[in-house]
Amino acid sequence: MSKKNILAGAISLAALMITSGAAVAQKTTLNVGLASADVGVLDPHMNSSTPGKGFLQQIFNGLVRLKPGEISPAQIEPDLAESWTSSPDGKVWTFTLRKGVQCHHNFGEFTSADAVFSLQRAGTRETSSFSSDYAAIEKVEAVDKYTVRITLKNQIPSLLGVVMNYHGGQMVCKAAIDQMGQDGFRKKPVGTGPFAFSEYVPQQYGKLVANDTYFRGKPNFREITYRMIPSDAARDLAFQSGELDLYYTRQDQTTFNRVKAMPGVKALAMNPAEMSVIHLNMTIPPLDNIKVRQAIAHAIDRDGIHQFRGRETSRQAVSVVPSGYLGTNAKAPLLPHNIQKAKDLLAEAGHPNGITIKTIHTTLTGMMSFMEAVQAQLKRANINLEITPVEHATFHQQIRQNLSQVVHFQAARFPVADVYLSQFFHSRAIVGTPTAVTNFSHCKVADAEIDAARSETDQAKQVALWEAAQTKIVNEVCAIPVNESLQLWAHRDTFDLGYQVNGALNLAPGILETSKFTK
Amino acid sequence: MTAFLIRRLGFAFVTMLAVLTIIFMIVRILPGDPAMVILGDQADAATIAAMRTRLGLDRPLLVQYVEFLSGALVGNWGVSLVTGRPVIAEVLSVLPWTIELTIAALVIGALIGIPLGVWAAINRNNAIDYITRLASLLGLSFPAFVSGIMLLIGLAIQLRWFPVISAQRGTFAQWALSLTLPAINLGLIMAAYITRVTRSAMLEVLSEDYVRTARAKGAPWRIVVWRHALRNALIPIITIVGLYLGVLIGNSVLTEIVFNRPGLGKLIVGALNQRDYTMLQGMMVIYTLLVVGINLVTDMVYGVADPRVKLQ
Repeated sequence: MSKKNILAGAISLAALMITSGAAVAQKTTLNVGLASADVGVLDPHMNSSTPGKGFLQQIFNGLVRLKPGEISPAQIEPDLAESWTSSPDGKVWTFTLRKGVQCHHNFGEFTSADAVFSLQRAGTRETSSFSSDYAAIEKVEAVDKYTVRITLKNQIPSLLGVVMNYHGGQMVCKAAIDQMGQDGFRKKPVGTGPFAFSEYVPQQYGKLVANDTYFRGKPNFREITYRMIPSDAARDLAFQSGELDLYYTRQDQTTFNRVKAMPGVKALAMNPAEMSVIHLNMTIPPLDNIKVRQAIAHAIDRDGIHQFRGRETSRQAVSVVPSGYLGTNAKAPLLPHNIQKAKDLLAEAGHPNGITIKTIHTTLTGMMSFMEAVQAQLKRANINLEITPVEHATFHQQIRQNLSQVVHFQAARFPVADVYLSQFFHSRAIVGTPTAVTNFSHCKVADAEIDAARSETDQAKQVALWEAAQTKIVNEVCAIPVNESLQLWAHRDTFDLGYQVNGALNLAPGILETSKFTK
Repeated sequence: MTAFLIRRLGFAFVTMLAVLTIIFMIVRILPGDPAMVILGDQADAATIAAMRTRLGLDRPLLVQYVEFLSGALVGNWGVSLVTGRPVIAEVLSVLPWTIELTIAALVIGALIGIPLGVWAAINRNNAIDYITRLASLLGLSFPAFVSGIMLLIGLAIQLRWFPVISAQRGTFAQWALSLTLPAINLGLIMAAYITRVTRSAMLEVLSEDYVRTARAKGAPWRIVVWRHALRNALIPIITIVGLYLGVLIGNSVLTEIVFNRPGLGKLIVGALNQRDYTMLQGMMVIYTLLVVGINLVTDMVYGVADPRVKLQ
């Protein structure tokens, strides 16, 4: 390298050092910080990870969508389908598609053939993580170029829920998969959303570019870069330095308070909340005794946990289904905190000196701190909770092998009571069985109500059945719902999402064609 | 020299084979199911079983082992179980980042550590020696993620001289700015090691007869230290640097995470968390190759540093 080159390099280095603070986001480029080292497979029908959903949601549409910023199924509005109808028995649904919607990267117009292909793909085990959501679909047909008909084998609680821009409901372009194959598509996903896939560099970033032919209009942002930054501290510093405009903050009240106090910053606490539930395995003594389970429920102080987790960033659980879901029983008879009552119940159950129970628990910090707080509360009622910490993937495997007496599970689901009830409290979902999902308690007291609600066409009666199911589960103390943690994000106040954010089903604020910087 | 190389390459091949076998076994003994990781927590047992079949994880272990080994020998390490992307492409995409960080840290470590170690040795048991030893002890005991955060707060947030996301390419200046802080962070740890090893090696050499003879003959102190003593102290320094370089590649994960740089360390942690067997296996091949390669180079450098060492 000549002296001249070295000098030029040194000068440009110095110039960049001086300006690096200012040389950040262009006003038409958005930089988003995700809390992960990788977003995973780039396929909306396979990827169920939080960062994956946040990244992919901009690329795809559903036949319908939730109103941006909302998570209530009551707020469903048209997306790729302009309108839809259903038969009186709710088993046949007909969707009329918008005309002229273009797939990204010149893969042609999105038609009923694409919609049929997408739904069939979403319902196939080999190509979808969410295939069980589509088990009730008998057939999907293209009636004509812009009409799709779905016929169900039996009623399901929310057909619109499985054709919306969430999980398997995201519509892919058939021509892209025909040309690139399934593996090729997973490297270059093709949809119809406001932003098209541009580039993915593992461990670094994923880049999306504006889809100027988007049917709702040309996006304001030209480019979005999703940065994968697993370290909470590094993400926070990158936001402070101006290298990120929107980011997933550390999930605690202290950070939330600090971020809120930053000048020019807006902190978001969004739904859906992830509910922390203590599942009690009713097949393993002493938890097979309802008095012991009631004692544990009385020993847990939900208000204390709420204070510990943060008043603004969490809320107390109200039932075994998170609050705000369609069918949540807000008046479920949860047992109140009462240490003396807990001790009395233990004595009645033949354990006057208390009991020792065991849990296999993930080492994830947020979940572990919660469980340690519960452990301290239980101790006051002479209930000794022994925690065996294991790494997260091991935790998921071992709790499904029925190895843990007590299981702390934290989750958000599609906001219809049926999903939570079916996955956690129906006998079909008991862990260790061929149809297992996440019923860790072996609860089966409400099967009849859960099944009846599935085929109930009158929504008021359906909700009543779900509420009754929750009452039964709570009375049986299959599980103890404790706390709901909101999703915490922050952005600069010059960034306008283009809608009011109450929640984001894909766990990250969706960037729309109307999103922009105001300055 | 040729015989030496052939012999060492033979050892390297056996080492590789042993490591690959051990890794194949270990990743499968570990609890945790990649199918479950890929599908998330809402998949039912039948869907998980279908995914295991798709990934080939339900086949007999011996079949999987033979397939893995035969693939590895011809450079086909398969695709990542989680992302579906080719393992070789993922590993090669981060390898340059790891190599440049390691080399930069080594250069910083050597530039600081060797002079400091020599300086401490020739000032044995006085203030300079004590301060140097204390500083090197601090360097060894300070966690890389703490020093990394401190560097970022001071130089990236307060002074705004460097980016927080230290993973930029583009111009030479952007590259240099991205590399500087992570290299300093890792280089300071390296410097601490080198300082201590250099000091002790120099103390031993400085008490040798030939050093006393050189001084008695009237050779300038500077020449005695840097030409006579340091040259002879280099062997243990090279050994430690060679050994530590292998460790450095693995240990750079904290620096990579704090500075948001891609790298082998970060990739390996991600693959472990996701039980990505094929990715872990591919990474181990590369990692073993690097360690074996570094050891080979270290052995060859002995001969350059000290002509008494014969590569036979």
